[in-house]
Amino acid sequence: MTMEKWIEINRLKKNVDDFQLGPIDLSFEASTITAVVGNNGAGKSTLLKVLMRLAAQNEGEIKVFGQLIDSEAEGWKKRIAYLPQTLVGCDSFNGNQLRELVSKWYPTWDQSLFEQLVEMYQIPLTKKYGKLSQGVQQKLNLALTLARDAEILILDEPTAHMDIPSKQLLLDVIVEWMERGEKLIIISSHQAEDIRKLADYVVVMKEGQLLGKFEKEELTSQYKQYWMEDSLPNEPIPGVIERKNERILVSKCAEETESYLASKQLKWLRAKNLEIEEIITYMLIGKAS
Amino acid sequence: MELPIRLSKESREPIYHQIEEQIKALIAGGQLPAGTPLPSIRVLSKELEISVITTRRAYQNLEYQGFIRTTQGKGTFVAEIEASKKEEVTVSAVYQAIEKAVETALRHDYTLEQIEAVFQEIIASLKEKGGHDDDGKMD
Repeated sequence: MTMEKWIEINRLKKNVDDFQLGPIDLSFEASTITAVVGNNGAGKSTLLKVLMRLAAQNEGEIKVFGQLIDSEAEGWKKRIAYLPQTLVGCDSFNGNQLRELVSKWYPTWDQSLFEQLVEMYQIPLTKKYGKLSQGVQQKLNLALTLARDAEILILDEPTAHMDIPSKQLLLDVIVEWMERGEKLIIISSHQAEDIRKLADYVVVMKEGQLLGKFEKEELTSQYKQYWMEDSLPNEPIPGVIERKNERILVSKCAEETESYLASKQLKWLRAKNLEIEEIITYMLIGKAS
Repeated sequence: MELPIRLSKESREPIYHQIEEQIKALIAGGQLPAGTPLPSIRVLSKELEISVITTRRAYQNLEYQGFIRTTQGKGTFVAEIEASKKEEVTVSAVYQAIEKAVETALRHDYTLEQIEAVFQEIIASLKEKGGHDDDGKMD
């Protein structure tokens, strides 16, 4: 098991009108799945687009497989499969035609995986892309992207328009895809389930800034809510980020909070770990929803 | 195969340790005989909704202690383990469960004497019901 850095982002800045992304320092290792989360307009898609050279950064550098991506050589591009939120300019092609275009470009194209996904999602390949519903378009995009069998997979909100069973199927597909060899996935998603079931790491972005990259359990083990036996004194308590009333408090650092409570002989009746979506909400808006 | 593992996120016991202990118990209890294939780290991580980092740590510890073995390209399997080692796991699981019960009582300000009395009461009532045969197994 290597933990080789496949993608390295250093001091990256990108300005779009009055929006500023970064500076961002971030790396992604082989054999991991990272979920990128943040509120709308946090810069997630911009970050992924810069990573794919679909937009140029203003400052900083990005290395993929150790190679700067603004150099002439573009070999790295075939080693990444990217699924954008929307595919532009495809409306007049049908699935078969799109497959022909994409499969030629990628030497690692896996026709049997493509067929398996088409079968699983019942994707009509003879209907024009523009005539498909958003959900079916998304399924076709996914089949076209996953079948490239590239080492790095970047998915920008892959399940936004999908029905519940399709989302569930995709979770298994992604897990299987990860086991095809040494792989790396970056997935931007608003779906709590994607994060819970797939992510090893969570990258949290807010208003163009990177709040951090966290190992999932680093968050879920530290954010806790406590129901206290008695009312609490009004002094500040280490780690506490919210007091819902005088007996309920929420901590983002369970260790600090618990050792303080123990030192003051303050007892709690119950403690509960927060769900990942509650934690992200605290990180993004500073309080519970 | 899917493993009947249940994580208690409320517990202070680290997640990787909970996985380790539960897999050991399944092996010691004979539910997972030697040679049984275990789910891959990625699949188990999805099922338990944790990161591969945590699952890998549990598997590494289990492998180090000889409960499982990984064959390159084939996967992870339950290892052949000695009866004495199985016994060890069972004994330690029973001790831990009783220790936990005692801790709960202590947290509720029971004295050791009171706890002893509760234990004797529970055992007496079990004997009365006759729910146990001589070797202590439940019917």
